[in-house]
Amino acid sequence: MLLALREILRAKIRFGLLTGAVGLLVFLILFQQGLLGGLVTNFIGAIDNQNSPVLVFNDQARSNVEGSFLTPDQVDAVADVDGVAESGPIGEDTYTVDAGDDLQDAVLFGYELDGLGEPLTLSDGRLPEGPNEGVASSADADKGFAVGDTVTIVGAGDTDGPRIEIVGTGDNLRFSVAPTVFVSYETFEAAKRAVNPDARVVLPSLVAVEPADGVSTDELTDRIDAEVPGTEALTRQEAVDQSPGVQGVNQSFGIILLLAFLVVALVVGFFFLILTVQKAKALTLLRAVGAPSRYLVRNLLVQIGLVLGAGIAIGFALVALVGSVSTGDVAVDLDVRTAVFTVIGLAVISLLGGLASIRRVLKIDPLRATLDSGREI
Amino acid sequence: MHIAVRELIRRPGRFVVVGGALTLLVLLLLFLGALLDGLFLNSSGAIRAQDTDAIVFSDDARESFLRSTIDAPTRAEVEAVDGVESTGGLGLSLLGVDIPDSDDIENAAVIGYERATDSLPEPPAPGETYADRDLDDLGADVGDTVLVGPAEVPLEIVGWVDDANYLLQYGLWVEPGTWREVQNANRPDAVVADDEFQVLTVSVADGADPEVVRAHIDGATGTTDSLSQNEAVFAIPGISEQNSTFAAVIGVTLFVVGLVVALFFALLTLERLGLYAVLKAVGARTRTIVFGVIVQSVAVALGAFVVGGVLTFGLAQVVPAAVPVQFETGRAMFTAGAVVVTSVLGALVSLRRIIRIDPASALGSGV
Repeated sequence: MLLALREILRAKIRFGLLTGAVGLLVFLILFQQGLLGGLVTNFIGAIDNQNSPVLVFNDQARSNVEGSFLTPDQVDAVADVDGVAESGPIGEDTYTVDAGDDLQDAVLFGYELDGLGEPLTLSDGRLPEGPNEGVASSADADKGFAVGDTVTIVGAGDTDGPRIEIVGTGDNLRFSVAPTVFVSYETFEAAKRAVNPDARVVLPSLVAVEPADGVSTDELTDRIDAEVPGTEALTRQEAVDQSPGVQGVNQSFGIILLLAFLVVALVVGFFFLILTVQKAKALTLLRAVGAPSRYLVRNLLVQIGLVLGAGIAIGFALVALVGSVSTGDVAVDLDVRTAVFTVIGLAVISLLGGLASIRRVLKIDPLRATLDSGREI
Repeated sequence: MHIAVRELIRRPGRFVVVGGALTLLVLLLLFLGALLDGLFLNSSGAIRAQDTDAIVFSDDARESFLRSTIDAPTRAEVEAVDGVESTGGLGLSLLGVDIPDSDDIENAAVIGYERATDSLPEPPAPGETYADRDLDDLGADVGDTVLVGPAEVPLEIVGWVDDANYLLQYGLWVEPGTWREVQNANRPDAVVADDEFQVLTVSVADGADPEVVRAHIDGATGTTDSLSQNEAVFAIPGISEQNSTFAAVIGVTLFVVGLVVALFFALLTLERLGLYAVLKAVGARTRTIVFGVIVQSVAVALGAFVVGGVLTFGLAQVVPAAVPVQFETGRAMFTAGAVVVTSVLGALVSLRRIIRIDPASALGSGV
């Protein structure tokens, strides 16, 4: 058996503690990445997964869909911008709805059927074909938003607003962590009037725009910004990235993850460095009786690999456990690509942490074994 | 002086490793705590600024300020309930605000209110506003006129209020008429009528039980949902989930602190087994050695807390403005206490090893 394995078996507590610490740190890193993915998807999935490549906001809204509305003049002016192939209104608002025999919050996205703003991730049923039909976020199917369910908007004074039949569900379509339903623009207008009968007018939140052939989305957003006062045109990706909170959440988690990676490198690196120093005499003897440096380095790398491998396994197991018992609205959404990059990052950073130990091992002078102590490596 | 303290002073290098790892973990804990406090306090300031025994929503609003509507007849019904001493109206509009000398539009919560509280003065004159002091950092000043929403309604800043933001948006506190003007000019699709508010704050009479009065209000009106101030804070979308998630992450990080300290003190103990055997051979009691380990773990934890605290403060100066960190003394004290306790518990993992040391082994080991 490799020396590395024998050593681990004889020092179970030490290696167990290290593996436990690494495992929990890996869990923290994976969990927070999963949480970040889940948060972002749940906050702006509806924007990310609709078919309009360009979205026009009121420039005072700071990329906030809920704070944006456009006047009829602005909607017409956007349509007239050179390079616009197609445009249409998108309305968004949050309503109290009666769904699944329960009063709940739900977000409605109204768009012109067969036009821009249509959901892209239909996983069950069909798209709406007329008024009072909707496609809901599939994550909320068991809350009364499954295909065949009826969702009723609660109007002013507890009156019934439009009754929307769910005819399809789509993945990652939530907005603001609430059940979300895509309906025709007329249905959206009816819902708006039901909750606010005094409204003088119902205004769209955004204008969805498709560029003409040969016009890039960036060119078109610049033109709209220049030609239509009071608007801010964003590509779909810009609208996602600049959504309120998303930038802050990304930056906050970025700092936390960086610190967690540093702790992993420091803990792994210093643990093996101390261990190497403590084993100096034995390692010098091994070198003196003919063990090549690469054998000792290999043992060290095997130990780092085993600790890291076990830590990663613990981390993934804990994430799976937490994911399965989580009952919150925000699911831990850890995609494969993120997980693979995290594992690679952890491997690299652990090896970097172990470099000092490797350097010490390579510096061992077998001649020292003839001295009283081999500690001087 | 105790031998453990002497070792700390003479051989600080021995503790640099565990201290370094702990410092980074303290940095992580303090940053997580500051982020949680920043998110919580900046989301809930407007509600916490009220002196109230109940916040009354319309029952179809599902505890959402923005969807709630309390009209004048409903208010009259609330005021007629036995035990209600007085009420005040509150209304909120979330809009962009254009600050002079600033290139960007900022997010603002224009809040119409009627009643002064410990942290809010009497409402200003029409067209004037008390702004949250955070706007000061963006270059706004008393006497400046900010423009609110697409309709660019002008509001003159006449003073500052503290800790009065809502949903991470800068609080601009105005009298009710100004709030309605701002709302109706900027949101023609969500106009509010004269005498209409979104919620009511309620003070109960001396001796009345707020919980009972809240139940009576909802019973009398049949169309309201009355919450305590604390319930209203936690009804803000995402607040509960945010708190529980951060608490879990902080808890796991503290557990990692314990494991890391246990790991490194196990290594230190291993290194000092021979010395401990000699100490025992010359009469030192096990509890003296254990006490020394505890002293060292406390010293390392406190040192890491101080250095980690300084680093966190430095980090907070360079993080982007979009990251809402806020440092609270209570959070720092909790973190210090938790790190010390967890470190001691971690260090005591080596207890069994120390107890098992046979003084006679000092003769054989020769250190």
